[in-house]
Amino acid sequence: MGLLSWSRKKSPWIFHVNAASCNGCDIELVASLTPRFDVERLGVQLVPSPRHADVLVVTGTANALMRERLKTIYEQMPEPKYVVAVGACALGGGVYQECYNVTNGIDKVIPVDLYIPGCPPRPEAIMYGILKLLGIAPEKELEPALEEEIVGAGASK
Amino acid sequence: MEPERVSRLTTALEATATQQRNSTLLAVKPERIIEACKMVVEDREFYHLTTITAIDEGQVISLFYHFWRGTEFLTVKTAVPKSDPRLQSVTEALPAALFYEAEIADLLGVVFVGSPMTGRKLLLPDNYPTDAPSPLRKESNPAQIRKMMGLD
Amino acid sequence: MTDSPLDPKSEASAGLMQYSPENLVPFGPVHPSLKEPEYFKLYLEGEKIVQVVPRIGYVHRGIERAAQDRTWVQNIYLFERICGICSFAHSMAYTQTAERLTAFEVPRRARYIRLIIAELERIHSHLLWLGLVGYWTGFDTLFMWVWKDREHILDLFETITGNRVHKSFITISGVRNDLPENIIEPLKKEMKYLTGRVDYYSDLVSTEETLVARTRGVGRIDQDVARRLCPVGPLLRCTGIARDIRKEDPYAAYDELVPDVKTSNQGDIASLLLLRLEEIRESCRLVTDAIEKIPAGNVKLAVPRVIPAGDSVGHIEAPRGELFYFVRSAGGMKPERVKIRTCTMANILTATEMLKGHTLADVPVVLTGMDPCFGCMDRIAVVDVAKGKEWSVRGEELRLHGINWYKPGRQT
Repeated sequence: MGLLSWSRKKSPWIFHVNAASCNGCDIELVASLTPRFDVERLGVQLVPSPRHADVLVVTGTANALMRERLKTIYEQMPEPKYVVAVGACALGGGVYQECYNVTNGIDKVIPVDLYIPGCPPRPEAIMYGILKLLGIAPEKELEPALEEEIVGAGASK
Repeated sequence: MEPERVSRLTTALEATATQQRNSTLLAVKPERIIEACKMVVEDREFYHLTTITAIDEGQVISLFYHFWRGTEFLTVKTAVPKSDPRLQSVTEALPAALFYEAEIADLLGVVFVGSPMTGRKLLLPDNYPTDAPSPLRKESNPAQIRKMMGLD
Repeated sequence: MTDSPLDPKSEASAGLMQYSPENLVPFGPVHPSLKEPEYFKLYLEGEKIVQVVPRIGYVHRGIERAAQDRTWVQNIYLFERICGICSFAHSMAYTQTAERLTAFEVPRRARYIRLIIAELERIHSHLLWLGLVGYWTGFDTLFMWVWKDREHILDLFETITGNRVHKSFITISGVRNDLPENIIEPLKKEMKYLTGRVDYYSDLVSTEETLVARTRGVGRIDQDVARRLCPVGPLLRCTGIARDIRKEDPYAAYDELVPDVKTSNQGDIASLLLLRLEEIRESCRLVTDAIEKIPAGNVKLAVPRVIPAGDSVGHIEAPRGELFYFVRSAGGMKPERVKIRTCTMANILTATEMLKGHTLADVPVVLTGMDPCFGCMDRIAVVDVAKGKEWSVRGEELRLHGINWYKPGRQT
């Protein structure tokens, strides 16, 4: 079943993991639940267990203590599953790159399907990224300037 | 700090006192550290232990016990040789020192004799390589530690 | 035998994982409302918690070591990312401690601006916390309302500094930019609005039955505990000890705009709720005062590349309490040593003390009540001392257990 048709059949359930992050990205993710952004109206739901989730959203640097837990959580998710890395730390270590206890990007631990840059990315950017992953983002291309503003330069390629 | 208080502490502890900006620095020998901490907290105004700082200074590791009085800092300073970094734990006199000592044990390899946290890591992962130097020591190399822990 | 999922003999617990002590693997999802993942081991005798052993380090990133490889100004960006909630507090504490080694005086206008941002951050942090208390006690509506109000503060941050979370607004010798024009009226209007909301929330937390039942008398500490374990911030002030770094050791513009230090003498979570709300009110007043009285002038001097040699200690009153920095300079472009003592580190021991004597149903409220900068409820291990059994619980299960426990009419 293609990702597009699958995602249209059910609302994506998201499980969030904080893999040694400063909380900035996590708070912007949680803020997307609150009335101003209200991601739940789009069918996106946060679930409390990886066993029920379709999408794993990871923030943070995946330090030595969190790496194994991250792998375990990934393995507990049923197929089909997708991983989203949110924030500069999850992308490539962020400001902590090359520190003695961090991984330079969580894609060295688990496979990643989508990267959302920012430190932290705005709630709208996080939402847009997840919707884009699932093919629910608007069919029409956004004006390049707006897309660049939300998702970062180079995204519209 | 008032001169009488300073001289009382320096005489009793055979210590030297210097004024360093907003802190009075009291340098004591490592054997007197428990006594020094006890004397400081007996004086009820000083009961707040802010934290314990430790620095690798080459041959020795210096430890600074920062007390906040409500108007100024009093810092009790001591040092242990890097070749044998052992110091008495002050947790009996200062229960609040437990995690501050544990952090120094993890990051600088100082052994606090008598601490309830002995043998347990506070911050570092349990699989931190035993043959790598503690992370905040001068000779530590983050790139090498990363390699040993397989983080790349 | 009860029907609680946390009772290992009950049927409801059959689905819960149980591990033998040698095999205990902390396991659990991080609920989106929780922030950082930590690990608490709770020892139970019967229903009561008798001992708590925390294991932290799940967010240890090696920042103190990293600071030695970055220049003085680069470190501002590093330290503000220690925490996404009190990021300005960290950058301010570091900058002020480093400035102490230099000879220049920070311009007055910059000091007022620092105060405004610091107080706005205090408001946002306390609101965030209040929302989480709502979430953990099953009061989702409170969570939604409070976080919606919090968005107003984030808008202000964005207007003034350009970013919602990591503002990077401070620099050594002042602040990076001046306030935008026409900020005075919107700022005052916002403070007035939030003061009104504080009235509403204060009334709510004192009268809403379940919230009161779950917080009054819970997690009580007294001045003896405070003297022994040295907590900081609202946790210290709720025992009646009126200590606040803004008043004791004024920095920024607090020597001219003196805060009124709020205390409570109840020492329980209910009093912490009211205390933090009062602190929001006081912060609104300080911001309004500051924006009315702010002097003209420049906002920074020449930012130095080199800081003179020496040791410096400094602390500020971050939203959670005393935040302490020690800086040693060898006279170069990078610091030789920076030591940070965060507020939560100072409060962990007190939090474990607060948990003793309570049941598992109270754990979410007590741990949230101390306003930790980590989501400690993510993974908790429980040890039944009498039976020698050990098993792990997810934060979400504890949250639901607590909500059911306190449902009106439940036989306890």
